[in-house]
Amino acid sequence: MFGWAIKSLLNQRASFAASVVGVASAFVLVLFFDAVWRGESVQIVSYIEHSNPDIWVMQSGVSNMHMASSYIWDWKADRIAEIEGVKRVTPILYLNTAIELGGVDYFGYVVGLPEGAARAGPWAISAGHAMPGAGEVVIPARFLDIAGIGIGDQVSIADSQLSVVGLSEGTYSIANPVFFMRYSDLSDILSAAGTYSYLLVDLQPDADPGQVVSRIEDEVEKVNAMTHEAFVASDFRMAMHMGVQILVVMTAIGMALAVVIVSFTAYTQVTRRQRELAIAKALGFRSRMIYLFVVYQSLVVTLLGYFMAIGCTYALVGWVPHWVPNVTLVMSSSSAVQLGASILTVAILSSLPAALRVARLDPVQVFND
Amino acid sequence: MYTLALRQLVLDWPRTILVAIALGAIFGVILVLKGFEQGQYHQLARTVENRQADLIVAQSGVSNLIAARSSLPQLMRATVESIPGVRVAHPLTTMPVIYEGHGIKTPIYMFVYDSGGGPRHVMQGISRQRGRGIVIDVSLAEKHDIGVGDSMSIADFGFEVTGISERSSALFMPFAFINYDGMIDFMLESEIAPDLSAFPLLSYLLVELEPDAAPAAIADAIESQATEVDVYTAAEMAQNDIALARSMLGDVMGLLVLVSYVTGILVVGLIMFAEVNTRLRGFGVLKAVGFSENRLVLSVVTQAFAYYLLSVPIGLSIALGMAALINSIAPLYYVKVMTAGGLLTTLLAGGVVAIFGGVLPIVRLRRLDPNIAFSRV
Repeated sequence: MFGWAIKSLLNQRASFAASVVGVASAFVLVLFFDAVWRGESVQIVSYIEHSNPDIWVMQSGVSNMHMASSYIWDWKADRIAEIEGVKRVTPILYLNTAIELGGVDYFGYVVGLPEGAARAGPWAISAGHAMPGAGEVVIPARFLDIAGIGIGDQVSIADSQLSVVGLSEGTYSIANPVFFMRYSDLSDILSAAGTYSYLLVDLQPDADPGQVVSRIEDEVEKVNAMTHEAFVASDFRMAMHMGVQILVVMTAIGMALAVVIVSFTAYTQVTRRQRELAIAKALGFRSRMIYLFVVYQSLVVTLLGYFMAIGCTYALVGWVPHWVPNVTLVMSSSSAVQLGASILTVAILSSLPAALRVARLDPVQVFND
Repeated sequence: MYTLALRQLVLDWPRTILVAIALGAIFGVILVLKGFEQGQYHQLARTVENRQADLIVAQSGVSNLIAARSSLPQLMRATVESIPGVRVAHPLTTMPVIYEGHGIKTPIYMFVYDSGGGPRHVMQGISRQRGRGIVIDVSLAEKHDIGVGDSMSIADFGFEVTGISERSSALFMPFAFINYDGMIDFMLESEIAPDLSAFPLLSYLLVELEPDAAPAAIADAIESQATEVDVYTAAEMAQNDIALARSMLGDVMGLLVLVSYVTGILVVGLIMFAEVNTRLRGFGVLKAVGFSENRLVLSVVTQAFAYYLLSVPIGLSIALGMAALINSIAPLYYVKVMTAGGLLTTLLAGGVVAIFGGVLPIVRLRRLDPNIAFSRV
């Protein structure tokens, strides 16, 4: 039965190929949407990942950086620096707000760096220098392509005008491009002298991060300390959760589209082969066997469409960022596997219209031309 | 030729319906994607509109209500209210916070209000609250299974939910509304701002004008009396927020819509290819009796266009159905299908896609040997 279904499909190679392409395009839509969201979520934690301290300390009740605000007294940084196992504490001030570049507002993260900060700044620079001085800012290099803003141009944050002195790499995302400026400048904008937002804590080589986290929370009141890995995971999870409902909806839409396309293919196959199927019925094949024939064909088309979609999305993920540089795409194997798990459902649902046609098929048709 | 194409549709009507549904589904998906983008902009405009202000006063250099930090001097309210033509200036403070419930974190945009600018569409409970009361958007309530009377903890501070509002979310964030008493308690108890001066106690002023006052003249008067502020009409502020969202979402949504258009072309191409394949013998007969290739092509394109016309109402119905479903199960987002621009663009582009898809099987028609008319297919 399976061989007959395959042979029947291969007999009409062009139609078969076109059907596979149609199904693949529906699945591409699902995988591409997921890649867009996942890529953005990965970029959202890019600053945190690259800063890479052993421990992050923030205000009590806060456990994220994306869309969060955190304020802690400056003396707490000094107190934490004295705790056993702590090698160095680097404080930053942080703000998420609208930033104007070339007359257009962009939403972004602003990181205020203390003078001479050894870490927490940009990790790769394509032009200019990494550490901004007073009245200066380092912006993501991608704004050169997007807004034509480069070294020497002006950027507005609230009513402060800052001069671009550096272009950083790997710091752009749609939701949170990262801007670096002097702590004192950001402190003026926020009227937040004497406070920090996050503390990046580096440990002595032999210190255990888990133990130091407990010590910090025990010895310094109203702060939350998290290991680097836990903080990255917390922000990434939240970013993905923000889009989880729309991802589910888009997946459902893509699946429905795939069902419609495979239904059309299966129906067309049955219409074209109704005389052949009538002969099969006349020869004694049960209707159940013929339904199985339709399901097999749908399954083959859906499976091939799925694998083609994975290949196409993989190619798009590599190619699109060259063409649309401000979009980051990340393809996830778990999303592909989840989509794959629903293939049988798509194939069975898609076979229904064709199965109805088969049910009405009269073996007498074999004698008609 | 036209009649032949149309009769073909009637002859196998179940197939015609299936094709129209397939095409309608594609147009539906494109309309939903465009509607998703338009919905984001609509939510932002609605956020400003729901504050019910004629003018909005923000910190100098700040031109957005959403996703921006604005801080005004507390005495600014008195300054603004002293200007002739200003009826009242309502204080409004905004702050991003994160709520965690059942292990899921959700960023919330919190509006702190006093006499105006609070929740406009309260579906359960009350809109006005005292102290620890909080009104939250329905999407947040549904996501975390929170009801009126429940307590919810934000940054270790316990609020009591007094109301649930709808149409109060934007930029993937639900809104929450508290009053100034609640904000002060929240800040002091949760140590959200160890030094209160570090936190914007007043972000915006929502200005209501006297009936005969000219908004532009009053805006100029406010800006001339207070150099540390910028004044916008509600419409201007809404446009600024939409422009900010466009700078974030425009390229991504454009890319997704482009992918769906390409999908559309492929699917229409697939359908028309299958159509030509199914009727190959018929086309062979027509070719054998002297029909030119151009006329055959015209027949296929006519049929593609007829399918398109049939699929438009189906696509629109599918899109409206999907939008209603999304708006109902995921009220955080809003899908706005019925926008004149979006609808017209999609339908025009859909027509082009249908014709282009219809042209794809031409190669097959051109290669067709009239001898096929005399053989079995």
